[in-house]
Amino acid sequence: MSIPELLVNDGFISRQDREKINDLSARTGQSFIKIALNFGYISRKNYERSLSNLGYTFREIRNQAVDADILGKVDLKFADQHIALPLRKENGRIITVMADPSNQLFIDFIRFTYDCEPEIILASDLDITWLSHKILGDNYVKSSVYELLNRDPNSSAFITFSTGQLAFLFLLLALVTIGLVVNFKTTSILINLIISFFFLIAIMFKLFLALMGSRFELHQAVTREDLHQIVEDELPVYTILLPVYKEDKLIKKLIWNLQALDYPREKLDVKLLIEEDDDKTLNAVRNLDFPAIFEVIVVPYHMPKTKPKACNYGLHFSRGKYLTIYDAEDIPDTDQLRKVVSMFSKLPSNYICVQSALNYFNRNENFLTRMFTLEYSYWFDYMLPGLDTLDIPIPLGGTSNHFKLENLVELGAWDPFNVTEDADLGLRAYAKGYKIAVINSTTYEEANNEPFNWIRQRSRWIKGYMQTYLVHMRNPIALLRRLGWRGFLGFNFFIGATPLTFLVYPFLLAIFISYLVFDLSTIRTLFPDWILFMSIFNLMVGNILMIYINMMAVFKRRFYELILFSIANPVYWLMHSIAAFKGLYQLIVKPFYWEKTEHGLSKVNSPTNIVK
Amino acid sequence: MRNQSRYLLLITILLAVYYLVLGIYLHQLGYVSQEAMFYIEKTKIVIDGVGNRLKVMGLTAPILPFYASFLFSAISASLAPVIASSLTMAVLFFLIGSALLKRAKDDFYLIILLLIFALHPGILYAACSGKSIALVLVFFFMFFFNLLKFYSSNTTFHVSIASISLVLLIFCDYKFIWLTLFFIPLVLSITVKSLNLGEQESIFRLFISFNNPSLRRKLINKTFALYIILFVLPLACIVCYKLLNLTHAQDFNYFNESPYATWRVLADKLTFDQLSTSTVYRIPETSILISAKALLFCPLMLVAIFLFRNSTYQILTLLTPFAFIEFLHIKYEKVFLVQEYYMMFVVLALLCILYRSQIIRRQAVLKTVVLVLTLFQLYTGYIFMKTSSIAEEQNFITVLLNRQPDPSQDDNREMADFINKLPNNSHVLVDDAIAFPIVSLSKDKEDFRKYTLPYQNAFLSAIEAPDKYDDYILLASEKNEVTGFTQLNNRYIPVIRKANSALKLRPVYETDDWVLYKIMSD
Repeated sequence: MSIPELLVNDGFISRQDREKINDLSARTGQSFIKIALNFGYISRKNYERSLSNLGYTFREIRNQAVDADILGKVDLKFADQHIALPLRKENGRIITVMADPSNQLFIDFIRFTYDCEPEIILASDLDITWLSHKILGDNYVKSSVYELLNRDPNSSAFITFSTGQLAFLFLLLALVTIGLVVNFKTTSILINLIISFFFLIAIMFKLFLALMGSRFELHQAVTREDLHQIVEDELPVYTILLPVYKEDKLIKKLIWNLQALDYPREKLDVKLLIEEDDDKTLNAVRNLDFPAIFEVIVVPYHMPKTKPKACNYGLHFSRGKYLTIYDAEDIPDTDQLRKVVSMFSKLPSNYICVQSALNYFNRNENFLTRMFTLEYSYWFDYMLPGLDTLDIPIPLGGTSNHFKLENLVELGAWDPFNVTEDADLGLRAYAKGYKIAVINSTTYEEANNEPFNWIRQRSRWIKGYMQTYLVHMRNPIALLRRLGWRGFLGFNFFIGATPLTFLVYPFLLAIFISYLVFDLSTIRTLFPDWILFMSIFNLMVGNILMIYINMMAVFKRRFYELILFSIANPVYWLMHSIAAFKGLYQLIVKPFYWEKTEHGLSKVNSPTNIVK
Repeated sequence: MRNQSRYLLLITILLAVYYLVLGIYLHQLGYVSQEAMFYIEKTKIVIDGVGNRLKVMGLTAPILPFYASFLFSAISASLAPVIASSLTMAVLFFLIGSALLKRAKDDFYLIILLLIFALHPGILYAACSGKSIALVLVFFFMFFFNLLKFYSSNTTFHVSIASISLVLLIFCDYKFIWLTLFFIPLVLSITVKSLNLGEQESIFRLFISFNNPSLRRKLINKTFALYIILFVLPLACIVCYKLLNLTHAQDFNYFNESPYATWRVLADKLTFDQLSTSTVYRIPETSILISAKALLFCPLMLVAIFLFRNSTYQILTLLTPFAFIEFLHIKYEKVFLVQEYYMMFVVLALLCILYRSQIIRRQAVLKTVVLVLTLFQLYTGYIFMKTSSIAEEQNFITVLLNRQPDPSQDDNREMADFINKLPNNSHVLVDDAIAFPIVSLSKDKEDFRKYTLPYQNAFLSAIEAPDKYDDYILLASEKNEVTGFTQLNNRYIPVIRKANSALKLRPVYETDDWVLYKIMSD
């Protein structure tokens, strides 16, 4: 009896489902069992139960010997589609591991390719996937790591500081030192002046952006009417990449959240990207006791072990017209994918990415989550729409950015050496003349509720901003030509200025406090009247305005209870400064090191974000 | 639409030129407001001065009109306030005009607007006097316009722009801080209205929301949040500004109460003194009459109230300026209300008309009423100005209509001319608390640097030992109306002679208000 027949007989799938699976199998080239297990028709537990009842035994295969000549004749994608892999020749038969021993197509492939009969070993689909990617994934993983570096080395963060940049930095340092030695007062005043002007412009620019962003508060990029006009059958295949590492606690939640997405399941191409050494997550998937809509892709070991490398690897197996990334703890609006499809259909073809807003479901958990929510509300609801309106490059958020897959590949995908690959990709897209839009849909994430974990995460982000800045400023004139002056200034004030602001902030604060507390009148010699005036203006107006913009953002989100927490922003910025110094240290010592953020620490329930 | 905008821009430019020509012409005739002279003097300190300029730069009040005037000082130091106010008024016209084109879409109202902006004496006064009224009106318009927009759209953008406008308004005239007082009940009313309840009547909505724990929490949270969004910015800015005053001038209210920081202290005192010593008795302003007077000054407000008759909190919003001027009258009982506070009703009325005129079906009737009231308003504007209790306002209309030179500053000019002619290396001790008009008339950097002024560290020492620092001392004569505001008046000579019997002073030039003494060396 064939396996599909068996599953129908056992009542795990209905006859209609079987028809659907066969239909999808014919369209996609994937085997019956691959579709049954990955499109939520049957759970792995039930599949094993059904086969065990018939006397089959699932064997452990990770330590099986393999023959390179045998493996050389099979392509990873084909093996992956059928969840089967020939391992070696033994006693005139090809030892083949299969998740579905009745897969006639693969059996025939073995017969024709090796000219002998297969000896089938039944194994779990997850183990076969693990083994096949580990053995056959070498070319793919190398391509994931080196593709951008080979194709466009100037855009890769493989080299952190270019020779020119190092020369510039040391020259600047030398000039400042000489200046301080020769004329301490004038040089200090000049440095003060530059910093003050820089802050003044940055403050005004941010206020202007926030106001521009908030102006379009009522503008719905995609309306309900637009959603109603979508024809179900014309929806394209949508790839969702889920890069995870040791997120065993969150797997169940993640699957439930994705299950809630309002999109035809046969048009979803969900890839759970698990690292080769991450048995925890793989076992969590193995232990799921309900049918789930995702396919496991095992990313073979290769340095650097970063999220962008995993995503690049997943890209090789993606089938969708559009592609998005979600983190393990993400709860996207249920209609987000439909909205994106609708939005892409309305936008000109040079728009290749749509960014959704990010916010937090555990905002009221503690001080840190409140501050994080304030920051994200301001960033995604005001700043990004502001940048979008002014046509300035948008540094993409870590998740929920939806791409046109072919353009993503054309861009060289994510830079595995960059720890904020998303911001970098946004810039590369702009530099190539593409555009990014912002959509009125939100993905709720888990705000970091633990200070050390927060600093780890933030230090990675700030390090990534530094990396991105250094990569794109290798040739500032070329960048100016590509982005235009608006984009260039936007890039400098957003990507470049952010780490710098956090690095300088504690020093300026210390000077101000010393001036107030110890009445250091000597400081006045370094601050002539008008510079002191500008500095005081920056401090007062800058702080007040930034606090106010945060208040506006949570007011817009109707998180009224958070409004007063905006006042604590100066303290929160000090935490940023700590993270910035850590990021700077890591940029020099270990630039590609991915500071892992622990997820699942929140004790707050995360209800699915159903859009009515 | 694009064509209309182009025409509007063209009209605005012509209007700006018209204001500039008028302002410069009045300036040539000798008309200069106290406020403009104050800004000119402070600008000279900041640009040409030697000493603690930071305090002058940061604590001169009202700060925004001062900066606006400062911006144009590169063109002409003495005309800078007039240029600033003329251009600001043209900007106000453009703001109202462009809003009108977007909303009312009727050229008739644009003509009315142009009529008012070209002929209304109050508007001309605001544009050509170099005072802060123009900026006050711009931010007043922006504040109310964005509030009305917020009522209809409920967007954070509009409420935050309203709040920012309020901050700017307060930094143009500190008295507007009291406007916030009347928004406190209004905000509650807005929140109650915004709750999603079946009941329509406000009082019952309030009752329901207070008796339901969930709604009550929502109501309190939202009301509080709205208060914060609307008022935190002005309050925080004022607190910071007061702290700056404390750290740099050892007084929280330095910007508002010191004659070195603001011209208002002296101007208010002067107008009141002039009035109380006047031989012609004037009817004092009484509470209820103030609102009636405002309505008489701006009868178009009646149309504005009519247009919003069915909207409770919009009506309440329109009534807040009335409550505000009544409050000002009670709080500052010895000070007469200046044009600025009447002019805000003209702007408010125009705003309401542009915002709601299109909802009236019988446009012909409305237009006739608006036209008649506008003409009447031009007349009342003239009468108000002519019979104003403030000498500056009266002077303005007299100089404007008679085109005769204005003699009010002749005394100051005479003294300034004399000082300007003194040798470049001579030093004159002057207290610019009252003598700022004279300092403002200095011709160039060298002339200005002759003065030893209170912003300089040497000033106090120079008062104690003038012979060591200066060659001349400018003293206010007994006839000078504000002689009590300075130490350098006729009482100074006996005091300094007692302390320093060797000091010899000889009057070298004298006008009605001033006496310039030369310090004789032994």
